[in-house]
Amino acid sequence: MRVRVVPLLLVLHWKQGAGSPLPITPVNATCATRHPCPSNLMNQIRNQLGQLNSSANSLFILYYTAQGEPFPNNLDKLCGPNVTDFPPFHANGTEKARLVELYRIIAYLGASLGNITRDQKVLNPYAHGLHSRLNATADVLRGLLSNVLCRLCSKYHVSHVDVTYGPDTSGKDVFQKKKLGCQLLGKYKQVIAVLAQAF
Amino acid sequence: MLTFTVFLLFLCELIVPCAHIHPESSVVQIGSNFTAVCVLKEKCMDDYHVNADDIFWKTSRATVSRDQYTVINRTSSSVTFLNIPLINVLLTCNIRMFGQINRSVYGIRIISGLPPEKPENLTCIVNEGKKMMCQWDLGRETHLETNYTLKSEWATEKFEDCKAKRDTPTSCTVDYPPVYFVNIEVWVEAENALGKVASDHINFDPIDKVKLNPPHILSVNNSKELSSILKLTWTDSRFKSFITLKYDIQYRTKDASTWNQVPPEDTSSTRSSFTVQDLKPFTEYVFRIRCMKEDGKGFWSDWSEEASGITYEDRPSKAPSFWYKIEPSHAHGTRSVQLKWKTLPPFEANGKILDYEVTLTRWKSRLQNYTVQDTKLMVNLTNDRYVATLTARNTVGKSDASVLTIPAWDFQATHPVTDLKAFPKDNVLWVEWTAPNEPVNRYILEWCVLSDKSPCIPDWQQEDGTVHRTYLRGNLVESKCYLITVTPVYADGPGSPEHIKAYLKQAAPSKGPTVRTKKVGKNEAVLEWDQLPVDVQNGFIRNYTIFYRTVIGNETAVNVDSSHTEYTLSSLTSDTLYMVRMAAYTDEGGKDGPEFTFTTPKFAQGEIEAIVVPVCLAFLLTTLLGVLFCFNKRDLIKKHIWPNVPDPSKSHIAQWSPHTPPRHFNSKDQMYPDGNFTDVSVVEIEANDKKPFPEDLKSLDLFKKEKVNTEGHSSGIGGSSCMSSSRPSISSSDENESAQNTSSTVQYSTVVHSGYRHQVPSVQVFSRSESTQPLLDSEERPEDLQLADNVDGSDGILPRQRYFKQNCSQHETSPDISHFERSQQVPSVNEEDFVRLKQQQISDHISQPYGSGKMKMFQEVPAVDAFGPGIEGQVERFETVGMEAAVDEGMPKSYLPQTVRRGGYMPQ
Repeated sequence: MRVRVVPLLLVLHWKQGAGSPLPITPVNATCATRHPCPSNLMNQIRNQLGQLNSSANSLFILYYTAQGEPFPNNLDKLCGPNVTDFPPFHANGTEKARLVELYRIIAYLGASLGNITRDQKVLNPYAHGLHSRLNATADVLRGLLSNVLCRLCSKYHVSHVDVTYGPDTSGKDVFQKKKLGCQLLGKYKQVIAVLAQAF
Repeated sequence: MLTFTVFLLFLCELIVPCAHIHPESSVVQIGSNFTAVCVLKEKCMDDYHVNADDIFWKTSRATVSRDQYTVINRTSSSVTFLNIPLINVLLTCNIRMFGQINRSVYGIRIISGLPPEKPENLTCIVNEGKKMMCQWDLGRETHLETNYTLKSEWATEKFEDCKAKRDTPTSCTVDYPPVYFVNIEVWVEAENALGKVASDHINFDPIDKVKLNPPHILSVNNSKELSSILKLTWTDSRFKSFITLKYDIQYRTKDASTWNQVPPEDTSSTRSSFTVQDLKPFTEYVFRIRCMKEDGKGFWSDWSEEASGITYEDRPSKAPSFWYKIEPSHAHGTRSVQLKWKTLPPFEANGKILDYEVTLTRWKSRLQNYTVQDTKLMVNLTNDRYVATLTARNTVGKSDASVLTIPAWDFQATHPVTDLKAFPKDNVLWVEWTAPNEPVNRYILEWCVLSDKSPCIPDWQQEDGTVHRTYLRGNLVESKCYLITVTPVYADGPGSPEHIKAYLKQAAPSKGPTVRTKKVGKNEAVLEWDQLPVDVQNGFIRNYTIFYRTVIGNETAVNVDSSHTEYTLSSLTSDTLYMVRMAAYTDEGGKDGPEFTFTTPKFAQGEIEAIVVPVCLAFLLTTLLGVLFCFNKRDLIKKHIWPNVPDPSKSHIAQWSPHTPPRHFNSKDQMYPDGNFTDVSVVEIEANDKKPFPEDLKSLDLFKKEKVNTEGHSSGIGGSSCMSSSRPSISSSDENESAQNTSSTVQYSTVVHSGYRHQVPSVQVFSRSESTQPLLDSEERPEDLQLADNVDGSDGILPRQRYFKQNCSQHETSPDISHFERSQQVPSVNEEDFVRLKQQQISDHISQPYGSGKMKMFQEVPAVDAFGPGIEGQVERFETVGMEAAVDEGMPKSYLPQTVRRGGYMPQ
């Protein structure tokens, strides 16, 4: 199990589609934002989760459809949410704990979605709809991450959170890339529904 | 290497300026002060022997006033500009070398402008599916190149700047996709050479600035159960999966222009369908819809594309308009009645009308039913009163019945509407009236176009009994005269109709009236014209204007009321050509008719008569008075005009004349050698014989011709004065009188060549007649002449006296008779032979018609004339020969014509 702690601000500068996890650079936690966080931040987080949740299933379908056989007919085997190192989430925790766990999950998903997007542009270069949806989802995740950070920073003064990333797929074969992507999106669909309910 | 170094030094010397200006380049704010300093280099000063005193400044070739210079030290001079205007100039530092050569040694550009103002009214919008776009107001013009940069950031992250394009400095669209539910802070920075300023920051969630895509209407469905509803379904933005939307639904009937609004509270939540209620049956409705975020933040989407649907049918909601018209019928005791009705408008028909059901009921008779698909029905009715009902039917049901009472034939309509008015307004023709006192069931309005070319084909409409004002719902056209009839309908039948004429819109007449003259006088003319046909009036003729003018005069206009058809132009000039035309005017303008010309006479009617008749009467009266005067004073007049000729019978010439110079008497040549004659005698030779004269009478013929040609110059014996006057009648009577006075005792005298009246003859000749032969014997015995005439008429022998006739018409026989008698007395054989022969020859022709003989004589006149004046001398020679012949044969016969005056006699 690979667990890496990622400096918070570096996570904020994570770019979608990055090929590799962000480097681990310890930074002293000095929590500051560029401008004050809005008062309806939690509401925005809920809306973002709802936005992600509303599109997660269609994204999943769009993905395995775009991969072609055998994926559509073997979803359970190929696209089951079998992501071993996915960050945990405890819905009954405190808001701070939930936000920290949410932060880790979003960071994990964001990195993984970046890998998937990168791989799909190679594997399915003409699946523009899928690319667009992956990018849009990554953008939403990016905004969600910003909101969570703003909340943690402004309310709980959390300067950094340890985060982990999924496996690097750059060295995998095509099928494995597709399979890992499908498994990740399946997991994403499952998790985001939980998160939307939790907040 | 050395050469290269020298070259570099040379180049350096060439490119190194003699001076420099501080500041190097300047952008100056408008209204501020600016100072530039020019510093000379020592080398230049040495080379050109100049210092700061030799510096002068120029701005774009214009030398700056030295008042603005300041010599700082030996090498530096400054120039100051106060309150810089808007400029963009080149400022140069110049030196004057050797006192006369000017040279620019350095220059800078000065640009003035303003610093940017703070951008205001920054707003952003996120169109669904697109990137965020923000726009702002620039503020004042800076006159400088100014950059506007849109800056944005999250609380944790800054985005790339969005630089506004040059051509759209007031807006910018960011490069990154919008991320909703994350607040973003946005501001604008404006920057130019004079400064940098930022707008206020705005912080917002992009979801609150979103403008969604419009929904797409999928269907509009009706319901058989409810004819008043339509269900609208649509698909809209994917945003509805994570935000709450509200909708704006509008609808209208197909032909309407205004939209009805579905109450907003009914569509304030996310949905994909809506049922619109309270619609009209069997009516096509058009829908459109838009959406936005439920909380009202953001922007309404554009309207969706319109979609339409038709509500289900319902039974006709109103009874059709129902009316009748009685056609002329030849059958006795029956009437042909045309029942007619209007198709229900769609909003009252509530469906497709399948047919109409008509019932007719006469008092105490059975019902007659008709099912008609048309909108009229012709029935033959008796003269009794009938009640007709009409219902319209569609697939759902029947309308209410429309009841119409057709009165009996002897029904007297009464109670018309009053104060009927018709006027155009808002492009329709309104009709207004005052209701009768009696309760009215409804009103029937009929109208038709009045035309001289086509019959009046009425259209009609029905109004409720409570209506007192409506407009005509027909296809009315402008410039047509409509005859409008309003008939109130009572329970027992129709009332008296009232009529009025009206135009939907008037126009100028399309043709002007044709004017003509009815009567033209010396100073006035009565013009008349016909009323314009209604087809060309195009409106109510309000008045006419008559324009008339002379050829050179100004035009005069006279307004005439439209009710007139003639007008009298007065104060006209006589004997003048007038041009007149006429224009007819409606409320919208006029139209000229053709021009008509007429000429006034020189005199008024009867004026000539008034002048001529009195003048003629005066002339006649004067003449009459003159005649009467002459008649009364005839003796006195005769004495003055025709003085008494001395009566030869009372002459005593014979007593006092010493001797008679016979030669003088007979020889005219001797007596008047110059050929002048003091008196004239005319001898008429008359012949009834058409035959030419025999040769032996030619001499006489020539004699006669000579007499004709010499009339007026001959002198006769016996004191004949007839030819001395141009009035032979008076002369004759005078001569008669004279002849009677002379009687037979007067001796013939020789010619008394004395002057007539007071004229003195050139030769005073006094002669005495030695003859004792009675003078003018025939005048003393006219019965002889009558006898001769009788003889002439009885035995055809022309009397001798007809040969020679004195040109005294009333006494022409006198000289002839005397001549005849004298001829008998003259003892001359030749003379007698001559006369006898002449008489005999003429008597040979006496049997021929007198008229033809007369014609023969006329035929001879041209023969005489053929000699013409040019041979007058020759004629006179003949005359002389004739005279000489008479003289040679014996003593000259004093009673014979001495001369023949030319032209004094024409054969009768």
